[in-house]
Amino acid sequence: MVISGDRRVNLRRLVIRELAHRRLVVVTGKGGVGKTTVAAALALASARSGQRTLVCEVSGKERIAPLLGRAEVGTEVTSLEQNLWAVNVRPQEALREYALMTLKFESIYSAVFENRLVRYFLRFIPSLQELVLLGKILFHAKETRPDGSPRFDKIVVDAPATGHAISFLSVPQVLLDTVPPGALATDARWMRDLLTDPATTGAVLVSLPEELPVNETLELHAALRTKVKVTPALIVLNGFVEERFSAEDLAALPEPVHATAKGHAARAELSAQCRLKLEAIGTPLVTLPRLFTSPLDRAACEALGRAFLAGKAP
Amino acid sequence: MTPLREAIEGCSVLVTVGAGGVGKTTIAAALGLRAAMEGKGSLVCTIDPARRLANALGLSELGNAEARISESTLAAAGLAARAPMHAMMLDMKRTWDELIERRAPPDKRERILNNRFYVALSTALAGSQEYIAMEKLCELRLHRDYPLVVLDTPPTAHAVDFLDAPNRILDFLDNEAAKWLLTPALAAGKFGLKLFNLGGSYIAKTISRFTGTETLQQLAEFMLSLSTMNEGFRERAHETRALLEADTTGFVLVTSALPERLDEAVTFHTMLVQNKMRVVAVVVNRTHAPVPAEAWAACARLPAGALRTKLEQTLKENEHLAKVDALGVQRLAAGCPGTPLVQVPRFELDVHDLSSLWATSNYLWG
Repeated sequence: MVISGDRRVNLRRLVIRELAHRRLVVVTGKGGVGKTTVAAALALASARSGQRTLVCEVSGKERIAPLLGRAEVGTEVTSLEQNLWAVNVRPQEALREYALMTLKFESIYSAVFENRLVRYFLRFIPSLQELVLLGKILFHAKETRPDGSPRFDKIVVDAPATGHAISFLSVPQVLLDTVPPGALATDARWMRDLLTDPATTGAVLVSLPEELPVNETLELHAALRTKVKVTPALIVLNGFVEERFSAEDLAALPEPVHATAKGHAARAELSAQCRLKLEAIGTPLVTLPRLFTSPLDRAACEALGRAFLAGKAP
Repeated sequence: MTPLREAIEGCSVLVTVGAGGVGKTTIAAALGLRAAMEGKGSLVCTIDPARRLANALGLSELGNAEARISESTLAAAGLAARAPMHAMMLDMKRTWDELIERRAPPDKRERILNNRFYVALSTALAGSQEYIAMEKLCELRLHRDYPLVVLDTPPTAHAVDFLDAPNRILDFLDNEAAKWLLTPALAAGKFGLKLFNLGGSYIAKTISRFTGTETLQQLAEFMLSLSTMNEGFRERAHETRALLEADTTGFVLVTSALPERLDEAVTFHTMLVQNKMRVVAVVVNRTHAPVPAEAWAACARLPAGALRTKLEQTLKENEHLAKVDALGVQRLAAGCPGTPLVQVPRFELDVHDLSSLWATSNYLWG
């Protein structure tokens, strides 16, 4: 299937709408493809379009607020600018919050959860960490303001890389299969239901125009649909190289610059092939251009955010 | 002699570690291929949940059993190996089952294999991969005779867990608290909340409000069944630690020179060194060469116009990439003192077949 340039732009607008109506957007992909940058750009674009947006990181070291030129926000939901909040979700703090929500009293928490025997047991419940991380994020998805309207219109999650994202997002279902009825199972059930509701949750799969990342994206796409049952809403082909040199250009250039142009043409061709391969799975796709900014900064995220909103290369 | 050539010849285990997306699997496969080509039989084992290695080796699928890369596959890439090369992908569930079947007392086997926590632990729950990878590495070392095993690991965060895995098992088994917790229930000969009565029913009640009562009972039962295997786990954890610290084990830290990867790489290096692991080299993968002066000169000779503008832009971009990489290499050298750096240039196209793996290995071999 070949999609013309015009249709691609329309597709892009459709995509913005696709993402706009979903409360929860989970950004994932192979390591090193630019998940964090895409998550930051999406969050920025969403905030600019007027949606109250929270962007969540779960991978330990905080990158999004610094990327946007702000100080690190830590584990408290912190306002970055109009309509945009950020939080770094860490297991220890998330567990504490989660336990307090269930237990109501700080004193009980300290007595129980800081007991070293209990710590041993908790550590041995393998996916408790993932569950509380996910739990905190989903809690924010359900939070309301005093007037009953949702606290956030949009939650963008910078999720772990492919394999771990599958484990991460499967945790509620795995726990449902594992733990007998009880508070934990009840929580796991509402998390599972929220994640698998196509009207609420959509996954954004970030890829690069190279063979291995593209294959991994195809696998991730299949796993999300069949195993995790989280709806893939959008594929972002990052670092896309547009064709720059025509066949005549190449013929007109002497060495050594012929090789330079040929190298570029080869990357552009690979980009085009990868786009075709990814388009074939039927999920809307947008390309983001390769940026030559280093280190990546706010301006780069803004440019990518605008690319999302306007359907134009920055 | 280059550090990696020395490592391929001298080591019996090489572990590739690093962040996601830096080409760890490719480097692991290139090391294994090079060893085989030079006459040292190798096995490349990946524990990465994404199936990258098969892809890189041109195999349609990799399984839990070791598969030999056929001579005809190699020949098609113009290669003739002097020793066999094997590859495998770790199947968590199968490896766990084998472990239980080998180590659990016969009367406990069924009970463990059917416990819901076990099923989750061995199939889907995050984090148990690392435990089982260690087990596999030891098994391969002790019961197979590959002259070289190259182990590919999951990305950073989990690779830390990976190194920590044997320690965590030991810690768990050696800890007094754990013993105290388990012993009375064992003595009482039954499972369940009695376990927690130790710390007062207050704790048990509170915890069960959090997890559900039955969850605790089942978890207790699972831990008690596993506790019969403690001695075996303890021995194996010691063996693993010894294997990782051995002189014949080398770590290859793979990274790209991109600024957002540097800190991770340096942290990783520091952690490995602190853990008494031998880092044989830092491989800086996919670096860009500086634009040669002749290219700029040739560009300047072109008539002014669209083509020259496009070419200038391309050369500027390439120059930018090369500068970023050069800076990154400098910072890596400063951050990983005492460990040699080996650069592998970015190839025009992706490395996903044997001939490009071979080309990669030339940079590693020197």
